[in-house]
Amino acid sequence: MIDGLLGHLETLFLVLFAGGAVAGGALMIVLRQPMRVALALISTMLCLGAIYGLLGVHFIAAFQVLIYVGAVMVFMVYVIMLLDVRDPSYAGRFSRLLVPGIAGAAALLGVLVYAAWPDLAGLARPSGAATFGLREFSATFLNEYWLHFELVSVLLVAAVVAAIAVIKVNRGERG
Amino acid sequence: MHLLLPVSLALFSLGLLGVIVRRNVLVMLMCMELMLNGVNLSLVTFARQLDSAAGAVLVFLIFVVAAAEIAIAIPIVLLLARSKRTLDLAAYTDLKG
Amino acid sequence: MEFLTLIVVLPLVGFVLNGLAGDRLGKRFVTVVGCGLPILAFLVTVKCTVALAAAGYAPLTETVYTWAVIDDRAFEVAFYFDRLAAVMALIVTGVGSLIHVYSIGYMKEDRSYARYFAYLNLFLFFMLLLVLGRSLLVLFVGWEGVGLASYLLIGFWFEDPDKARAGKKAFITNRVGDAGFLLGMFVLYATLGTLEMDEINAAFMGSPAPAVSASLVGVLLFIGASGKSAQIPLHVWLPDAMAGPTPVSALIHAATMVTAGVYMVARLSGVYLHAPEASQLVAVIGVLTAFFAATIAVVQTDIKKVLAYSTISQLGLMFVALGVGAYGVAIFHLYTHAFFKACLFLGAGSVIHALSGEQDITRMGGLAKRIPLTFVTFAVATAAIAGLPPLAGFFSKDEILWFALASGRGGSILLWGAAAFTAFLTAFYMFRLLWLAFLGTPRMDARTVQHVHESPPSMTGVLAVLAALSAIGGFFALPHFLEPMLPLPEVRTEAHPFETPLVVVSVALALAGLAAAAFLFSSNGARAARLSPRFAALHRVLSGKYYIDELYDRAIGRPLQWISERLFLGIGDRLLLDGSLNGLAALAQRAAGVLGRIQTGSLQLYALLMLLASVACLLWIWRHV
Repeated sequence: MIDGLLGHLETLFLVLFAGGAVAGGALMIVLRQPMRVALALISTMLCLGAIYGLLGVHFIAAFQVLIYVGAVMVFMVYVIMLLDVRDPSYAGRFSRLLVPGIAGAAALLGVLVYAAWPDLAGLARPSGAATFGLREFSATFLNEYWLHFELVSVLLVAAVVAAIAVIKVNRGERG
Repeated sequence: MHLLLPVSLALFSLGLLGVIVRRNVLVMLMCMELMLNGVNLSLVTFARQLDSAAGAVLVFLIFVVAAAEIAIAIPIVLLLARSKRTLDLAAYTDLKG
Repeated sequence: MEFLTLIVVLPLVGFVLNGLAGDRLGKRFVTVVGCGLPILAFLVTVKCTVALAAAGYAPLTETVYTWAVIDDRAFEVAFYFDRLAAVMALIVTGVGSLIHVYSIGYMKEDRSYARYFAYLNLFLFFMLLLVLGRSLLVLFVGWEGVGLASYLLIGFWFEDPDKARAGKKAFITNRVGDAGFLLGMFVLYATLGTLEMDEINAAFMGSPAPAVSASLVGVLLFIGASGKSAQIPLHVWLPDAMAGPTPVSALIHAATMVTAGVYMVARLSGVYLHAPEASQLVAVIGVLTAFFAATIAVVQTDIKKVLAYSTISQLGLMFVALGVGAYGVAIFHLYTHAFFKACLFLGAGSVIHALSGEQDITRMGGLAKRIPLTFVTFAVATAAIAGLPPLAGFFSKDEILWFALASGRGGSILLWGAAAFTAFLTAFYMFRLLWLAFLGTPRMDARTVQHVHESPPSMTGVLAVLAALSAIGGFFALPHFLEPMLPLPEVRTEAHPFETPLVVVSVALALAGLAAAAFLFSSNGARAARLSPRFAALHRVLSGKYYIDELYDRAIGRPLQWISERLFLGIGDRLLLDGSLNGLAALAQRAAGVLGRIQTGSLQLYALLMLLASVACLLWIWRHV
């Protein structure tokens, strides 16, 4: 029985964390205060990290937590703390486009799931290959995908330039 | 495993809904992050299923880009909020007409 | 040497030279080219006539070029010179040249001197095309061309809107007639397969008779002729055409263009000989026109209008002759009429010139002593038109009256009676004109009286020549000359004894007219003025020209205008065309307005729209791919 349970444990955890992610996403839409929304997002991201771990891509799980939660969301939380103003967006959470938005999103979800449904059964259990071990992954990454890596570094340069530009604008406004 | 794809689709849709529906600009940014996460999940799912490293590489790069993006987006929003003196998206209508 | 072509082309060269370069090269150049070329054409015509006579009057033909070849039928531009064509060509070029010479003096001060001679030469070109053409097609080109030249010359002083309108009226009335002409041509071509006039005549004269009713063709062609020759009901343009310069009135609306209809019927005598109904129609319309025009002329006060109605009346008499089968006699009257009517018109021009523009005969008088040459020539021509022997008009008019009574092809006493009464009226109103204009005491103001002067020799010389021709022209027995090709109709046996008495009656009528005019209109028309209140109603109707213009305006003009304005302008143009175009533009604007509301500046709306669009794309892909 334990074996049966253990065999299903993975699935159980998967379902649990998936549900947690979706719940976090849903809460994001509904909660009023931005700080709480940020916390919901953090919880979603952590659940996703757990899912990645369950799937076996451990380094991605690690990066998920490190970069997304540790850098992006921390930055976000700082800004919320800086800027949390009680302005009309606090009183009225939703824009004018609530109903059309819900309808559109539901339609999108419906179409996508319905389209993907026949193929879902084909998503078999993952293979046990060790492609996603860190060593193998790094080798593949820097051997075959070095070009993409370099291109992204160009993007990062652009980001740095943009940051400097923003500072200049900032300075210019101040005086 | 066949659960994860709908989950990622749901996360993406919820993120898009949040972008359209919420009035606070910071919340909107966070919903965009949610969309990215949904996409990441679908990429990882497929990478695992097809045993391809390409998906994982893409996820990796998305992390990088997302971080850079948020690093620039937040200051922009800051400046915008300071000039408009509000975080309400209804006030940001300079693109009108 | 292609002499016939040369006759036609010489005036065309004049038109081109004067039209293009006349203004720049000065009056002398224009005069030499404008008058010299018609005179040259006249000389060539004389030469061709001599050649014709030498060839025993066998018709000369010249094919200039093949205009079109459709299937296996060829349309050629060819000229045909026989007795009739010779007579017509001599009249056109001869009288035409004289009037060109007269115009030198008359139009000397006009600033559009070159344009005038260019148009006059153009007219001559088209008239010669008409007269010398072998096929109905070439004749029709000439027909339309003289209509064009007439329009250009009537509206010569186009800055005056009334004159321009007169030109339009002439052209449009002509076109109505031309519709009948075209239909006649179509019928002829469809049944006979040819438009060459000599072949048409041969087809109708020979046997078996063609499958088409000759009367139908005759009536259709006559509609065209009545438009060009100002017969009822298409006569309304000719009095208005007096708005043009007087030499134009003389040439086009007296001597040559208006006779084109007479020429055409005479040329197609083969058809009309076999079309008794059509001939009867021609005779009846002719005599009605002659009568009505004469009655109107009796009360006209403009010197040129009197002559215009006189022309209509004389043309009517020509058609009477054509209607009873006396084609040669009609041409004879055409020939004498050309002389005396041209002389009368040019004399009127001389009077107008002397009085510095006065045209109202109630304001003339006492000119006989002051402009004697004009008076003498005018008197001779008046006597000729009245039919006093031995002047030309007497011979031609007497022949017409004789055949109106005696012709075996429709002559009757009724016809004769109407024509004879018309002859009396003709003498009456012409002598009325002479008395009121030239005799009595001057009724103009003293300053005009002082300025009265005789016209220059270029004008009086022409008057003298024409008066001489009016006097002696009748002695050339034209009907006899044309008899080999236009045989005279048989005379009814019961009419034979009336031949000599008729001549006496004709002379008596002319003298009676003279006497009546002298009685009523001497001493400045005092007796006429006393009598006129008794006939006030009749006078009003006649002065109003039987209100035919008003009738046309009410019955045709106004409905057409209403249709144009309400239907075509209001509904068709404004509602449909403008409406659809403006509607399209308004639609585009409204659509743009609606679509413009999408750009609210709200990012969330843009995101929503992108979402909806991607859903739609996905649905489409899902369904179709």
